[in-house]
Amino acid sequence: MLRVSNTAVAFLALAASLWAQDSAPSDQKTIALLVQQVKALQQETSDLREKVRKLEGDRAPAAPAGARTEAAAPQSAQVTPPEITTPHPTAEATPPESSPELTAAMHDLHGIQWRGFGELDYQALDQRQPELGTYGFVPGSAANFYTGDFDLFLHSRLTEKTSVLADISFEEGDAQSYKLDLRQALLKYEMNEYLKISLGRYQTDIGYYNSAYRSAAWLQTTADRPLIMEYASNGGLLPTQAVGISITGAIPSGKLGLNYIAEYGTSDTIRPDLNGAGTVNDENDGNHVLVGWFAHPDWAPGLQIGGSFFHDKISDAETSLADRFGQTILNSYVVYIAHGIESLNEVFLIRETQLATGAVSNTPAFYSQISRRWGRVRPFVRYQYVNASGRNTIFNDVGLRAGPSFGARYDFNDYVAFKAQLDHTQRESLPDLNGLHLQVAFTF
Amino acid sequence: MNGRSISILLATFLASLAFIPPAAAQKDLAVVVNPGNPITNVSLGELRKLFNGEKRSWPGGMAVKLIVRAPGNRERTALLQFLNLSETDYKQHWTALVVRGEADTEPFAAPSIGMVLEAVRALPGAISLVYVGDLKPGVKVIKIDGLLPGAPGYLLR
Repeated sequence: MLRVSNTAVAFLALAASLWAQDSAPSDQKTIALLVQQVKALQQETSDLREKVRKLEGDRAPAAPAGARTEAAAPQSAQVTPPEITTPHPTAEATPPESSPELTAAMHDLHGIQWRGFGELDYQALDQRQPELGTYGFVPGSAANFYTGDFDLFLHSRLTEKTSVLADISFEEGDAQSYKLDLRQALLKYEMNEYLKISLGRYQTDIGYYNSAYRSAAWLQTTADRPLIMEYASNGGLLPTQAVGISITGAIPSGKLGLNYIAEYGTSDTIRPDLNGAGTVNDENDGNHVLVGWFAHPDWAPGLQIGGSFFHDKISDAETSLADRFGQTILNSYVVYIAHGIESLNEVFLIRETQLATGAVSNTPAFYSQISRRWGRVRPFVRYQYVNASGRNTIFNDVGLRAGPSFGARYDFNDYVAFKAQLDHTQRESLPDLNGLHLQVAFTF
Repeated sequence: MNGRSISILLATFLASLAFIPPAAAQKDLAVVVNPGNPITNVSLGELRKLFNGEKRSWPGGMAVKLIVRAPGNRERTALLQFLNLSETDYKQHWTALVVRGEADTEPFAAPSIGMVLEAVRALPGAISLVYVGDLKPGVKVIKIDGLLPGAPGYLLR
């Protein structure tokens, strides 16, 4: 092969030589003229590039002086280490390729960034008694379409360290009516990775699910949230939102990857009874305190473990607003998301102490969800359990609820997913509930 | 040509080989940052946190600007393997970060290596992954756990 190549090169060289010798003097002059013109054009291009570089350098106000120097004269900065010196040390750097995308990426994003989430659901149950958390259900009907939440997330960077985040949710109510809910409205300040402060309405950091998935169905693998993580406005048991201050940041801990969370705010919660009786329980929460932690160990990529302690004082509106309860919520979780596997495991203990009598009631709850992605399909299994104490007058509509869910999520593309889910729920003193939940969730 | 000349030429050729990275090193992924960034070394864990958006500022407070390749490129595939995520999971992960206010947007996905290098040269907090064979002047290669690409035990490839 080498011999053939050498022969070809020799032949070409010989032919070129012969052609050059046979060329008329006028052709040689033409060639010389063309070479001269090419050189002139090269010089002109070089001058223009230099002017463009100077102009771009003048238009980059935020870059430090050192960086501007590098950008202005990339050919002069050979900074690759000697161990990996480029194979052609004399080769010139490739000229910059300019594009609108790069120009956009090279400038900080200003203005408001929008992200939208929507869903269309169809749910069928084998019971005609409606329950909350099932959205579009009307009494007497066992299968309905509904649109769930339509969310608009807004994010605006004000300065390098300050930003605003909002989550505007249009939540479907009865008879195709929609309720506007400002689920998040936060002014965020990131001093550094150790101190990040948020002021406004936030999702409480009770548990992993509440902070990880917010209210976007598209982000969730399953068609719905676990009951214990359901929004209080849909019958959920926890104060999922609050108004106040939230502080978080990293704790210098090496490969353990520890982070802290601290919240202080008003988590006033109005929770309708799950059984759809129409009773609404205004808990009249005081100011809650939450402290928590989580870790992302370097030695186990994809693993997150954490926990939190929440304390507040609430009332039972069905009995007496003056009758206050101390509410303490303990949470711990282990989450693993990597290699296509998603494993979410959370356990809760809601402990309520009647301040007047000292009577205590405990409500343990947990859920465990495992899924695995195969291409576009992600089958999942979830088991959830909530057992509200019979002595607990606030959760007297909940009782014991437990059961599995099975299903799969199919991602059509990066924006649209279809989910099919079967649920079986055992309910204390009520017939078991079996359901089929179909959902198209999308983002835009 | 006498034997001495041949010896000199051979010695020159062998010496030049020392400056050419071995084929294995060409397949290593170099972590490149803006030359103005004082960082010289990161641990593998820190690198993972940088590329999954968990670590968003450099020591000193400068914001991290992630530059990645567009889907379908070998650097992108290597990045996803490094993060143990599929393309779909990667996009969902970044969407979740944006929704939580932990990122402004998904990292800029450059369609060409030239654009990656230009962005790293131009943005003070930029970081990206570039195969050693594609390196060009104007960017700074940093060590991972004390190792440069080509060194025995270098893990990123």
